[in-house]
Amino acid sequence: MTGAPAVEDIVRSEYEHGFTTEIESDTLPPGLDEDVVRAISRRKGEPEFMVEQRLKAYRHWLTMREPEWASVHYPRIDFQSISYYSAPKRPEDMPKSLDEIDPALLETYNKLGIPIEEQKALAGIAVDAVFDSVSVATTFRATLAEAGVIFCSISEALHDYPELVKQYMGSVVPHTDNYYAGLNAAVFSDGTFVYVPKGVRCPMELSTYFRINARNTGQFERTLIIAEAGSYVSYLEGCTAPQRDENQLHAAVVELIAMEDAEIKYSTVQNWYPGDAQGRGGIYNFVTKRGDCRGARSKISWTQVETGSAITWKYPSCILRGEGSVGEFYSVAVTKGRQQADTGTKMIHIGKNTSSTIVSKGISAGEGQQTYRGLVRIGPRAEGARNHTQCDSLLIGDRCTANTFPYIEVKHPSAQMEHEATTSKISDDQLFYCRSRGLNEEDAVSMIVNGFCKEVFNELPMEFAVEAQKLLSISLEGAVG
Amino acid sequence: MNGDPQIGFERWLAEPSAGAAPDWLESFRSGAREDVRARLLPHSKEEAWRYTSVKSLLEQGFAQSDETMTALQPDDLEEILVPGFETHRLVLVNGRYVPELSAPGDWPEGVRVGGLRALLESDPDALRERINATVDEPQPFFSALNTAGLDDGLVVLLGPGAIVERPIELIHLSVGLDEPRVAQPRHIVRLDAAAQATLVERYVSLGNSVYCTNSVVEVSLGRDAILRHERVQMESPNAFHLTGLYLVQDENSHYMGVNIGLGARWARTDLNARFRGRHAECVLRGLYLAGDGQLLDYHLDVDHAVPDCRSQENFKGILHGKGRAVFDGRVLVAKDAQKTDAAMSNRNLMLSEQAEVDTKPRLEIKADDVKCSHGTTVGQIDPEMLFYLRSRGISEPLARRMVCLGFAGEIIETLGSEALREHISEQVGRRLEATSLS
Repeated sequence: MTGAPAVEDIVRSEYEHGFTTEIESDTLPPGLDEDVVRAISRRKGEPEFMVEQRLKAYRHWLTMREPEWASVHYPRIDFQSISYYSAPKRPEDMPKSLDEIDPALLETYNKLGIPIEEQKALAGIAVDAVFDSVSVATTFRATLAEAGVIFCSISEALHDYPELVKQYMGSVVPHTDNYYAGLNAAVFSDGTFVYVPKGVRCPMELSTYFRINARNTGQFERTLIIAEAGSYVSYLEGCTAPQRDENQLHAAVVELIAMEDAEIKYSTVQNWYPGDAQGRGGIYNFVTKRGDCRGARSKISWTQVETGSAITWKYPSCILRGEGSVGEFYSVAVTKGRQQADTGTKMIHIGKNTSSTIVSKGISAGEGQQTYRGLVRIGPRAEGARNHTQCDSLLIGDRCTANTFPYIEVKHPSAQMEHEATTSKISDDQLFYCRSRGLNEEDAVSMIVNGFCKEVFNELPMEFAVEAQKLLSISLEGAVG
Repeated sequence: MNGDPQIGFERWLAEPSAGAAPDWLESFRSGAREDVRARLLPHSKEEAWRYTSVKSLLEQGFAQSDETMTALQPDDLEEILVPGFETHRLVLVNGRYVPELSAPGDWPEGVRVGGLRALLESDPDALRERINATVDEPQPFFSALNTAGLDDGLVVLLGPGAIVERPIELIHLSVGLDEPRVAQPRHIVRLDAAAQATLVERYVSLGNSVYCTNSVVEVSLGRDAILRHERVQMESPNAFHLTGLYLVQDENSHYMGVNIGLGARWARTDLNARFRGRHAECVLRGLYLAGDGQLLDYHLDVDHAVPDCRSQENFKGILHGKGRAVFDGRVLVAKDAQKTDAAMSNRNLMLSEQAEVDTKPRLEIKADDVKCSHGTTVGQIDPEMLFYLRSRGISEPLARRMVCLGFAGEIIETLGSEALREHISEQVGRRLEATSLS
């Protein structure tokens, strides 16, 4: 955090060197009205139907009220002070080498064991990666194309496959769903589109690094993943490296659609800037994520490791429509400092013999506030539905908060559902055991916490899991003692 | 209708016609009346009313009741008494204390038990510090309604060290009147330091009439006091029942509550417990049996405001026919309430296709050195248990009944008196027999 001014210096110095005009032309002035919505669509050269959909969403959004039920507190957001479109920086605007990057940031990268090339990408040095609101490049396209998998930005998909986008976008999360989803539907900037054809097993893990780079620019990602019958895809979102920015609203929407026998595995590691010690300047992460198991025996699995952001507000959900479909949710959330997280999942059992598993591990340290909020609904036709929920909270320090708000609605007698929750602190016995074997307190805590989260880390793709463990240790540095 | 100011409650709010009340009480009433009039009706957007609609209650157009059925003779009570249950018996009819029907017996030194109105007539200031003392402000909607119509109820006051051996039995009897009436008793229970008692509240009716009971029970326990508090709700199948229980506990006091819910068409029970002194313990147990057209709604709110307290909440439910149940439990552990030990459990057995249960066990924890857990299950009868019993020659209906009774037994057996345990088991058994369980 100490190095934040250095980053700003770089940004400022570039402005001073006369790039101002170009940048201005690529960024819409703050404010939101129908013209802005049209302007976003025009700049991206979208088909006509998209403009109409955006406007429809915008008009509906105006009638909606900001939700207040979450256990999070923040100053009211002024939606007119946000700029809703920002094109990526050009290569010549970016730092030329790692020497220009804040050393504190580099140190963290090294601790995480991130390779140099990747460090460059993360630090915003001109290489191929996804930046800002527009995808600059998407990797591995050729290999994927061979398998028939479409993996591109939503903007590209709108040009190349408008029918697919038209058919599926908004079918899982309609613009009427909630306040932030409505806003996203009106002004979404860009995002990822994945289409896996029938029977194809996606040959590689798909991954995109999302970045929030331009200052005071709301980031409104839109992700749409469609897995046709019998296909499989694993998608990684985010990265373990810390990502910094000014106070920013991030209201993303993710829609997953799994047809018969298809499986989608969606993993997230989120480590955005949580704000300074007083909680100022962190990112607001208000996300709507939902998967629709449309076909029989389809499966959607959400895994998330949430360590960043000042405020996290997200509930990756599964609609278990297809007979025998499966939903899973594995989550580790860490709040420290003044971070607040209100997260959980919804499992909506509609079809027969559907099953779902929820494992949520919350770690609250310092003055962190954490809430698990989950819904399990077993509908009147969901014969033989099964759910197992486990949510455990670990408290570190006496000023943190851990809440658990599970909602369980059962309308069928053959349903079997179990919910368990515990809240505790790291026991003195466990600590003593580790200490007596020569571990210092910090390592001991890190070891115990990693053990606590193991069930979730096991679900992450391997490289991710290793990074996530390190990330957790770093996150908790200084939290104990 | 949702969100409208509370039309429909005007007649409910009719001022009690009874004799002069002390000024302080009158100001409580008028304050509450204004409060209710300014308030929105409970609606489904409110977290506490998410699963329960007050629409059916509203449609009845209940009016504040001032009449009692004093024509009743002690013999008329025969059918509602529990055989072999030796108690200090106090009877309220339609919310009014009726000394003629009561059999209080002798009380030890330092014990004052009787009707609330009678006590206020003889000693107007006696309850000034006790009424509304444990209810949080702003009062929940129906508690405010109760305050607005506050006129009678039962008062149980135990001085320091007083011990009442026999259970104090409060029979709240409802008798049908010409039009749907609401009775709003307010019960005040105070145990001073080291006092001990058992209080059994029974809500019963003669006949199947339509009426509403909206009771508020205020319990405060002094240091080292021990109260066993058993509540049995067996209202008429057409009745509406509301309870707001407000419990405040001082240091090292013990409260053991059992709530049995069998009757009423629509019942809502709010149990609020707050610790004021350390090392206190609160146990809330419950059993509910909801059948066709019944809605039984339980809300628990346990506030660990101070360190070193223990609470245990264990509620079990059986649902059959088109029965619906709601369980909403909340345990709040305040900042600095270290060494809190709280365990909440809600288990439900669903016997039919149309039954529904909504459960919401919540933990809110702001201290780190605590042991808190909650568990919930919803399921049907384990086929293996049935198989075991059937393989021993027991018919399927009986086998099912045995499993259900075993499930309910865990709560029933925590009741203090053998006579009451048998009575409840029999009632539950009869209910299960009456429903086709297959």
